[in-house]
Amino acid sequence: MYRLLGRGEISAVHTAAMEVLERIGVVIQHDAALKKLADAGATVDDKTKVVKIPEYMVHDALQKSPRRHKLIARNPKYNIVIGDGDSYFTNAFGAHYTIDLETGERRLSTIKDLEEFTLLADYFQTVDYIKPNILPQDVPKSVWEQEMALAMFKSAEKHLSLVALTPEGWRDVIEMAKIYAGGEDEFIKNPSIIDTGFNNVPPLKYTREIIDMVLECAKYRIPFDISTGLLSSASGPVTLAGTIVQGIAENHAIVVLAQLIGPGTPIMWGSCATILDQRYGTAAYGSPENGLIHAAFCQMAHYYGLPYYGAAGVIDSKVPDQQAAYENTMNVLLATVSGADVVHDAVYGIVEAGVTASYEMFAISNDICGAIKRISKGIQVTPETLAVDIIETVGHEKNHLNTPEALKFTKKHLLEEQWQPLISNRTSRPEWEKRGSKTIEDVAREKVKEILLTHKIEPLDKKMESAMRKLIEDRTKKTKSN
Amino acid sequence: MESMIFEELQNAVIEGDSEKSVSLAKNALEAGIPPLDVITNGLAKGVKTVGDLFSEGQVFLVELILAGDAMKAGMSVLLPVIKESKAEMISAGKVMIGTVQGDIHSIGKDIVGTLLEADGFEVLNVGEDVQSETFMEKVKEHKPDVLGLSSLLTVTMPAQKDVIEKLKASGLRGDVKVIVGGAPTTQEWADEIGADGWAGDAVSAVSLVKQLIKG
Repeated sequence: MYRLLGRGEISAVHTAAMEVLERIGVVIQHDAALKKLADAGATVDDKTKVVKIPEYMVHDALQKSPRRHKLIARNPKYNIVIGDGDSYFTNAFGAHYTIDLETGERRLSTIKDLEEFTLLADYFQTVDYIKPNILPQDVPKSVWEQEMALAMFKSAEKHLSLVALTPEGWRDVIEMAKIYAGGEDEFIKNPSIIDTGFNNVPPLKYTREIIDMVLECAKYRIPFDISTGLLSSASGPVTLAGTIVQGIAENHAIVVLAQLIGPGTPIMWGSCATILDQRYGTAAYGSPENGLIHAAFCQMAHYYGLPYYGAAGVIDSKVPDQQAAYENTMNVLLATVSGADVVHDAVYGIVEAGVTASYEMFAISNDICGAIKRISKGIQVTPETLAVDIIETVGHEKNHLNTPEALKFTKKHLLEEQWQPLISNRTSRPEWEKRGSKTIEDVAREKVKEILLTHKIEPLDKKMESAMRKLIEDRTKKTKSN
Repeated sequence: MESMIFEELQNAVIEGDSEKSVSLAKNALEAGIPPLDVITNGLAKGVKTVGDLFSEGQVFLVELILAGDAMKAGMSVLLPVIKESKAEMISAGKVMIGTVQGDIHSIGKDIVGTLLEADGFEVLNVGEDVQSETFMEKVKEHKPDVLGLSSLLTVTMPAQKDVIEKLKASGLRGDVKVIVGGAPTTQEWADEIGADGWAGDAVSAVSLVKQLIKG
């Protein structure tokens, strides 16, 4: 396990973050939320909407915020417990464009892309729960979140994290989730059948819409991730320590609010922060500083007893190339060995930092993340795995391929010891040449096509699907009559 | 003598030294150099140098912004004198920029503004969460050549369309070129809502504005 900050440093970061919350405060553009916070002991300026939160309120909220919580899937074999010590990986979020699998052309993303990326995420073993990889551009914006939710409900058996963009759309998605859960009562009992995520508007600001949706989650105890989106040297300080301090204050404001409204609401506490590249004015996600930010934030989350959610695998490269691979590898690995509970954007089927989806990159990143998960599993040390008996049996003249006891031993332990990549090439050169001397991008493309043709899931219940479809149609009618 | 002051002014701007820029501008006035020349050959030249270097990825954003501030500091000494003498400022064009209603993101838009200023444009930054009606009023009042609408949220993109529709309805659309930008926007979106252009980053936004003003 990688520990970036020492004990004294953790304490100094905490003290500074509490000072920011208490003395500088956070803007929350939502009067009802401000009133709730004021009633609980915060100081609110009605004009500027700045709320200053004393440290004892943070401690109260942390007491109520679960250290671990379930995410439930349609197929129970995919249920997971966030905060149980494992690092769970998600796929990427939100591409407006897609590199077409057939033509290789960059074009606007479609709802079909969303279905296909979700189906691939269902297939890839590295994806533990699924984010909307695509923001489709071919569906009306009035029913955007709803169409995306339906596309995802239809395309996977794993737990789904759905997008919340507008309060109205998000309330519709919750109604759809009730259908998905098997009725209102079932959903009330198991609201973690879905989850969602929010960012702030740094520095130190939350909009009314975001707060509306946070309150809706807290009302039902729907799990959500809250992650600061600050950019160091633009919407936050250039210093990484200061970045962490501001991010903590931003995230904690939401923890305090959510636990006041819905005590016990599961929160994945995290970061989408990175640095602004000062040469180009762009957000640099594939930077080593991004990895350091995750390492430090993760320690702070655990100091607060919260599961850490880090958007770590984002790629700046515009195509699935060498740069894309090392950016993805570096920061997913660092977040994982730092103990992140959720590594978001890990299995990264996108290039160009969230903008352009790439089917090929998704398969390549699946291999990268498989390797990182293997590293995270570590080495198992027991009397059996130390293997002295087998070493003795094989002795000096034989080897592990010509000794019956050793062959048996290898067969027994092989799958738990050695990870098998899906597409990485490890053949001999003649064999590689015989198979067409293909690059990993070619192999990835072929593999994706094969999975899309052959991977089948249990279809979504027809009655559920038509009930959801009707809800979307009703919304469309209502929008038109307005 | 003149050329030395010009060079010093350029350097003050390039170094982002506002204090030096102010004192050199005063010196230039005292030496009897026409204030318009002080701008053209001194301050503006310095900021153009930094702007060009930024476009090539050779200097940092923070240096570009400081250079812009140093230019403005120097200008504050010169502008009252120019006004008195009723001389005309020559600008590359007037550009109004703002983030649309419901959206409070500012950084991307502000970078575009700084880079436009570096290229000699007069920039009116009307801020964030700007209502469509406010854009109408400001366009009527200031008559910019180009109006830049920023939106960083998918849900606020429709407000860009709303501004264009309202410009049309009030008969102002023909007087101003409208460009849109922001992470979720695309060229297709710009075409769909009848904008005159779209840019995916600050450097291309400047080229787009130049092209539109020329055309």
